[in-house]
Amino acid sequence: MLWYIVRRLLYAVPILVGVSLLTFLIFYIAVSPQQLARRNLSAKNPTPQQIHEWLAEHGYDRPMPVQFAHHLEELFLLRFGKSDTQGAEPIWESIRQRWKPSFMLTSMIFVAELITAICFALVVAYFRGTYVDYWGTLLCVLLMSIVYMVYIIAGQYLFGKILKYFPLAGWGRGLEAWKFVLLPMLVGVIVSLGSSVRLYRTFMLDEINQDYVRTARAKGVSERAILFVHVLKNAAIPILTTSVQLIPALFLGNLLLEQFFDIPGLGNFLVDAIESQDFAVVRAMVFLGTLVTIVGYILTDISYALVDPRVRLE
Amino acid sequence: MGSILNNIIPVLIVAIVVMVIARSRRAPLWAEAYRRLGRNPLALLALAVILLYGAVAFLDSIGWQNSRASARSTIIDRIFERPPERTYSVPMATMTTGEPTPHKLIGWHLLGTDGVGDDVLYRTLKGCRTAFIIGGFTSLLVVPIALFFGLVAGYFGKWVDDGVQYTYTTLGSIPDILLIIALVLVLGKGLVNLCIALGITSWIGLCRLIRGETLKHRDREYVRAARALGAGSGRILLRHILPNLIPVVIITTTLGFSGLVLSEAILSYLGIGVPPDMGSWGNMIDAARLELARDPIIWWNLVSASGALFVLVLAFNLLGDALRDAIDPRLRSS
Amino acid sequence: MNRRPLSFRMTLLLLAVLLAAGTFALPGCSDNPYPPGESAGNVLYTSLLDDPKTLDPTIAYSAEDDVVICLLYSSYFHYNFLKRDPFVLEPDLGATMPRQETTFYAVQEKGRSVRKPGEKWIFSINHGLHFQNDPCFPGGKGREVTAADFLFAFRRMADPTAGFPLLDSVEDKILGMQEYVDYCAQRHKQRLGMDYDKPIAGLQLDPKDPYTFSIVLQKPYPQLRYIMAMHFTAPQAREAVLRYGSDLARHPVGCGPFQLSEYHHKQSLVLTASPYRPPLTYPTEGMPGDAAAGLLQDAGKPVPLVNKIVFTVIREPVTAWNLFLQGYLDAAAVSQTNYQQVMSHPGELSPEMKRKGIKLYRSVAADLFYFFFNMEDPTFGGYTPQKRKLRQAISLAVDSQAYIDLLYLGLGKQAQFAIPPSIFGYDPTYRNPYRQYNVARARQLLAEAGYPGGIDPKTGNRLTLYFDNYFTTANFRQIFGLFKKQMDAIGVRVVSRTYRYNVYQDKINNGEIQFSYYGWSCDYPDPENFLFLLYGPNKGPGPNYARYANPEYDRLFVQVRSMEDTPARAALIRRMRAIVQEDCPWICEQHSQVYAITHAWLFNIKSHPIALDTAIYRRVDGPQRARLQAAWNRPNYAPAVGLALFLIVGSLPALSVIHHRRNRRVRRKEEVAG
Repeated sequence: MLWYIVRRLLYAVPILVGVSLLTFLIFYIAVSPQQLARRNLSAKNPTPQQIHEWLAEHGYDRPMPVQFAHHLEELFLLRFGKSDTQGAEPIWESIRQRWKPSFMLTSMIFVAELITAICFALVVAYFRGTYVDYWGTLLCVLLMSIVYMVYIIAGQYLFGKILKYFPLAGWGRGLEAWKFVLLPMLVGVIVSLGSSVRLYRTFMLDEINQDYVRTARAKGVSERAILFVHVLKNAAIPILTTSVQLIPALFLGNLLLEQFFDIPGLGNFLVDAIESQDFAVVRAMVFLGTLVTIVGYILTDISYALVDPRVRLE
Repeated sequence: MGSILNNIIPVLIVAIVVMVIARSRRAPLWAEAYRRLGRNPLALLALAVILLYGAVAFLDSIGWQNSRASARSTIIDRIFERPPERTYSVPMATMTTGEPTPHKLIGWHLLGTDGVGDDVLYRTLKGCRTAFIIGGFTSLLVVPIALFFGLVAGYFGKWVDDGVQYTYTTLGSIPDILLIIALVLVLGKGLVNLCIALGITSWIGLCRLIRGETLKHRDREYVRAARALGAGSGRILLRHILPNLIPVVIITTTLGFSGLVLSEAILSYLGIGVPPDMGSWGNMIDAARLELARDPIIWWNLVSASGALFVLVLAFNLLGDALRDAIDPRLRSS
Repeated sequence: MNRRPLSFRMTLLLLAVLLAAGTFALPGCSDNPYPPGESAGNVLYTSLLDDPKTLDPTIAYSAEDDVVICLLYSSYFHYNFLKRDPFVLEPDLGATMPRQETTFYAVQEKGRSVRKPGEKWIFSINHGLHFQNDPCFPGGKGREVTAADFLFAFRRMADPTAGFPLLDSVEDKILGMQEYVDYCAQRHKQRLGMDYDKPIAGLQLDPKDPYTFSIVLQKPYPQLRYIMAMHFTAPQAREAVLRYGSDLARHPVGCGPFQLSEYHHKQSLVLTASPYRPPLTYPTEGMPGDAAAGLLQDAGKPVPLVNKIVFTVIREPVTAWNLFLQGYLDAAAVSQTNYQQVMSHPGELSPEMKRKGIKLYRSVAADLFYFFFNMEDPTFGGYTPQKRKLRQAISLAVDSQAYIDLLYLGLGKQAQFAIPPSIFGYDPTYRNPYRQYNVARARQLLAEAGYPGGIDPKTGNRLTLYFDNYFTTANFRQIFGLFKKQMDAIGVRVVSRTYRYNVYQDKINNGEIQFSYYGWSCDYPDPENFLFLLYGPNKGPGPNYARYANPEYDRLFVQVRSMEDTPARAALIRRMRAIVQEDCPWICEQHSQVYAITHAWLFNIKSHPIALDTAIYRRVDGPQRARLQAAWNRPNYAPAVGLALFLIVGSLPALSVIHHRRNRRVRRKEEVAG
């Protein structure tokens, strides 16, 4: 088991290297260091020498492989350095200030969405073949077909402006933040509810059609017990796998939520960095996002291996 | 010259699509699938909706110039373009709204007009072509790449498999939106570049699926038999395994199409979608965001764009589901 | 009865808990974004579009940053809050108006020492001013402000790492500044820090009086008095600069009326009244009508009148507007998106707004919005009569009033030339012949320029104008849409080229664009601040985006720039105007005006086109605000209850399914038993 985990962790290293190589290349082509320098040396006319100095200062003058090795080292040790934008604070400092709202929102959406979706899926699966199932599934497809922004716009309009349950946008000072997280959370949950419920329903129906369920039913176990004991337990594995795999998507789905609701989190940080083409920040954020993703995958694999002994043999 | 080419390409595409469908009807497996599809009224409705949108997109691709100095205008332009009004007007209204003193409208607008006085129905129809290009062109990029790498990785295994898996795991661990943004920055804004960026992020799912399916088929009896009869790898892959994967590809592509159309809208909101002067529902929704705060509320832009988007995406989702039920024998039972 | 499985009971329990939480949380729900009870206090609530990029007074150069900085840092002068036409400078930290005298200084010319005349400005500041408390001072207590702190601010302008935005206009005026700037750049190259002790001939302290300093100018620079009202010249503590370095951007140490007490990034800034604020009072006299408008009720009272200002970062104007409607922001701008709700007809508030007690103001800015050509462009640039006619034709086809009506609610003044009303040199009688909307004349000039009907006879193609822009907002798109329509009328095709803002800036600086739209809002009330936008040497990375270069104009500009406001100056400006009129590098569009509205609880509103510290004069009735906020924001629970009822009714058939299934099971069991 330990060996499996170690192997799994080691497998992540080349991926991280690959990701940083990829991002390095992408951002090196997107904006040349000369351009970066010219933009950052105030608005006035920079001389070629000034540009050269700026490049030297930020380490853009060395040969590409050396630069890459340097960036790789920085990223692996999580030393993100200073942002390319003039006068900005160290990247790590910004991340430290801004991870909390994003984490709060993301984790709350994740948990709330999981619980709600499983509940609905159980209901739909219990009433399979009836009008509840038919309309429920159709509703799921309808929900899936609406674009994210419409949910946000409608949610903000309805719950914030008309019904006045939640603050429209913003983030609280200190502990006041809980008021602000509810509406984006609600929207975030509803957005992914359709696809999740439908997916979980198929997982559950897959299990219901298994032989062991038929056996249990033949033995006179009640329908309710079958669903809640046998099916739920067995469907939990694919449900958890898919939901963990969705974490990075969730994290970036928050990009929109944070923009609309003016939440001072990492999503907004990223959008700003992209707008100002802040190479250093985007690189760091890509790396962090990837790190979170990979950790998520590893955790899934490990939990999978814990449940299913066959996995380890591969 | 370019104008003629611009018209030939859409005609060719439609011709190819019609031909493929007509030919496939003769294959027994497909004939059965069509029969099942024909019995599903919802699927037929969805198909009809898609055909309607497709027709609009097609008509919007065929166009010509009236004189050398004028711009090329398509059939949709010729039918639906209206002389611009001054500014907003409510659907089917006679006066403008949203300016200090309302003015009389020149024409009649079923869905009203937007801020610069353009007909909203016309703008909504202009979004069809963009949506189809985003969905279609990206799928066209994704399917061959995913098929090739998925088949090769699944069939040959060993280092080939490792290489392909490494590539898509690496790409896949970068959050999608971020990768798209980065790529659009590199390639520059534009419809084709957007498709390429979307393609690079979305081939991974299909490739993984195909690799898995190929793995399953690799050791089936019929493949072993073919191998025993001396068939080469290429022949086995193309003649024996590939046909068995087509259903998976079609279902995934149909469902993926709706995802791509939705992505376009989200990316346009984030400012990295198609150029602002190109018809696009994403751009319309983005613009409409500000209009909701008005009083009287300007709802027709948002409703038209998101409604058009919703109906198309819904149709593709329903068709995808129906196709799955019709084609995939394993799921027929449930 | 079956034994119910544990997970089923857990699920039921969970649902029950969620339901209970929902029921109890719902009445506690409130859309108030502020801590409970805060709204009743003496607090001003306002919004920012984004975090200030920097709070360093030497670096900051955008309206968003300045609004905050001007409250944290006071300068020698400020503008009188109420006086207009002309704007009146008053001493703020200063004790008196500066004395000016002629002085002589020695320079080395061709190896000989030459005495040259210069201007010496002598400033004396108030006694007993203090910096705010900060750990950078010994014991954490703010020390007294002296004349040296003012001169220190001037020294910081030379810091090459700071990038002081007005360096070009200051460095050649102050004696010895140029040398000091070069010296600092040299040291920076050698990777040495700033040397703040090197003597500068033009910056002099009085050895006997620590409250007096003087500045020696080697060229006349009447604009210096306006510079002394900007935050660039606010006194800065050397201790703070040494301690915080580039972190000064987020760590202001000033001696202004407020101090920064909370800074939540991208979220909010909270300013509280500083215990060491300079002793300022509300003006006791204003313009005619000010007393009637209730602007003199607080005359003579010490300012600031509020003791806390909360800036909330809100990127979406729509959100800010909604928050205003809910009463959570004290003031709002009236824009195209909300004016129908605000006003029943131009200048008149709608009944709904009147019912809420909302007050309407009109604020006039000192700015200019203009389209400009790249004068170096091969098609549209150039100074030949044909090219001039081409630009004049396009200018004639642009109907400014259409933009004003459609985008700016009919407010705003059609611009004829660069200088806006309220600035010296503005001529209300002047009509630019090429700014009078006339499509027929435009067509005629276009034909004379060689493009009859907008078609190039040589190629038979339509004349195409590339409109370079960074337009992403709907408002800007409307500007483009309207312009395109107006050009269609004369047969010119317009193509939009949209870039990201920084690429656009690069392209402008390198002269790689053809045509664009821009706005300029002045830094100080002097015509020089507008005329320099067309000064030849300012092109390239400078603010002369049109890359206009006319030797005669440049010669006149050099003269005008150092003059006091005399009739002679006005005459020269008229000559410059005539040159620009014919060359037509710009299409002057409008000088903007906006409506602003405030809630009933906010008092002392009078917009100032230049001053940014007006927040210190605002008065707030907190208890009234708290009362109205509560009244306007009662949550509506009916839909939630309705939804719950709908779900219950909708699930009734499902219960029958359960019942049915159970019966079937029982029957089956009976069959088995039987």
